[in-house]
Amino acid sequence: MGDVQEDPQVRHTPYSTWRYKKRVKRQNEGHIHITVWRDRKALRREMGENTQDGTPGSWFKITIPYGRKYDKTWLMNSIQSHCSVPFTPVDFHYVRNQARFFVQDVGTASTLKDVSYKICDEENRKISIFVNPSTAPYSVRYKLEPEEMEQLKLTMNKRYDVSQQALDLQSLRFDPDLVGHDIDMILNRRNCMAATLQIIEENYPELLSLNLSNNKLYGLDGLSDIIQMVPTVKILNLSKNELNLVWELNKMKGLDLEELWLEGNPLCDTFPDQPTYISAIKDCFPKLLHLDGQELSPPVIIDNDTPCLIKPCKESYKGSDALKSLVLQFLQQYYLIYDSGDRQGLLDAYHDEACFSLAIPFNAEDPALSSLCEYFKESRNMKKPKEPSLCVQPLKHTKRDIVGSLCVLPKTQHDLSSFLVDMWFQTEKMLCFSVNGVFKEVEGTSQGSVRAFTRTFIVTPAGSSSLCIVNDELFVRDATPTETQSAFSNQEPTLTSSSMPTRSQEQQEMVHAFSTQSGMKLEWSQKCLQDNEWNYTRAGQVFTMLKNEGKIPEEAFKQIT
Amino acid sequence: MGDKPIWEQIGSSFIQHYYQLFDNDRTQLGAIYIDASCLTWEGQQFQGKTAIVEKLSSLPIQKIQHSITAQDHQPTPDSCIISMAVGQLKVDEDPIMGFHQMFLLKNINDAWVCTNDMFRLALHNFG
Repeated sequence: MGDVQEDPQVRHTPYSTWRYKKRVKRQNEGHIHITVWRDRKALRREMGENTQDGTPGSWFKITIPYGRKYDKTWLMNSIQSHCSVPFTPVDFHYVRNQARFFVQDVGTASTLKDVSYKICDEENRKISIFVNPSTAPYSVRYKLEPEEMEQLKLTMNKRYDVSQQALDLQSLRFDPDLVGHDIDMILNRRNCMAATLQIIEENYPELLSLNLSNNKLYGLDGLSDIIQMVPTVKILNLSKNELNLVWELNKMKGLDLEELWLEGNPLCDTFPDQPTYISAIKDCFPKLLHLDGQELSPPVIIDNDTPCLIKPCKESYKGSDALKSLVLQFLQQYYLIYDSGDRQGLLDAYHDEACFSLAIPFNAEDPALSSLCEYFKESRNMKKPKEPSLCVQPLKHTKRDIVGSLCVLPKTQHDLSSFLVDMWFQTEKMLCFSVNGVFKEVEGTSQGSVRAFTRTFIVTPAGSSSLCIVNDELFVRDATPTETQSAFSNQEPTLTSSSMPTRSQEQQEMVHAFSTQSGMKLEWSQKCLQDNEWNYTRAGQVFTMLKNEGKIPEEAFKQIT
Repeated sequence: MGDKPIWEQIGSSFIQHYYQLFDNDRTQLGAIYIDASCLTWEGQQFQGKTAIVEKLSSLPIQKIQHSITAQDHQPTPDSCIISMAVGQLKVDEDPIMGFHQMFLLKNINDAWVCTNDMFRLALHNFG
């Protein structure tokens, strides 16, 4: 699957067994470790012997069989929590199925031994820890000389950009300074990586960006030490290396990366398509915003502690009623602010990382639709659409951007009675519904125009009984003549139709009669009578006069179907 | 960078594929739904791939053609994509009608399937 390389030292092949063999071979390079499995008694005797010899600082190799599946940070923390003595793991790495590291000093080693079988993993299996005497670990044995460290520091200083807090270590091995001083910085070697990290920790403790491109890195065990040493790194460039598996990347999970470059690694070719690749990397680094220079969909991390007030579909009918009223209440509050003239109040309704987009049908040839251009005025960098009929604004995300763009849209008044709400789906953490309805523009060049819209919301529960918007997709079009006519028919701001005063039987009869005779709706008939103090004749005269003068609006009259 | 964001690419290719299937042979639409999919057709709910395909196949339509006027795509918090398509459709000899459809797409085993589908006719012609 990988590219065929001209380099005779082919580092990776499709045959996994061969790859493992190669790995072991590389690990053994320069190592002369003694892997001798002894029973406990024998080991104690041997360790005892060492102590008796008074050999200070003898090294021990700690092995966790099947440790390959454990995250390094979790493993180290678990062991430390069961260990009375603080220890410093040196050269932690994974080899075959195991996790391994080294510690100095017999006391630490013996304490660690006692931790064996004390830690349970997530599957409730006890973790065993084997301890064996060992020669010093690679990075200690081949530690760089002080002069080499000094030169390395100078070289790294040249490659450090203070303003960006960025360190560029690409192709470090071939840096002329280092080559000139005969320092071979092969970053795959633990001693070189350890030296580099030490210098970073000492000189750039708040490092933000690290570029390790083109260093033939095939493993990240060494680099993963940076998580404890310099956790501030947010931008990491690992492009053009030899990383085979996403599993290697998992070792860097402890960093809160926002930007990652991976292209040019064999692992990139193991994915069938781009979305799967991106998905796999995002699983590793959920907060990632850029991968290989491409912007990723914004991360929305739903706090697992938010109350689950949304019951899944399968529950009782009561659940769905409560849900309906929750949604209606939400819409009422939302549009109250939306129509109020100041949409800043909507900031609280949106999640920090919410998405919003607006689409309108745009037809350059149809002048009526061009009135919807008002909706594009705030988009300064709106690309000219290739097909004139498809007009979608760039996606807005973060609540500030969203509310900012909502505030620029024309002022509206929504007809809540026209709302048709479709509950789409619900899970414990998310609810999706669509609203179809109409609204009127109440100011600006299109004042009075009635528009129809469909708005889809995805919300999550927030706080005790409120909802928080994570996705908001709005589609606006001109309302059809029929929609325009029926819009706002139930709202008559000049009448108190919603709170009809109690009328006597007689008055009721009058209203009905008047309505039949005049052709006006009941509410209008009532008003006319009220204005004329329930004097039927006078009301009739006033009505006729106003009608002849054309002062009575069309909507007062009953529709003749 | 000039490249369209990934959710737009996936969403628009899904929409193209969906309406192509629908217009040519809607009995084949089963491939894009799964057993947990839900369709809301003009307010009526249908659950499961079989029920959905049954409903769509049983629509009294001999010939149908969709024309997309606008589409929009957004990524959702759980790595799904919400897509919207608005346009017009012509059924047999009936007058052209507007419609509005929303899809929720999810990546399952490297394929993008539709887990939720909501269709509404715009009951009157577009202006």
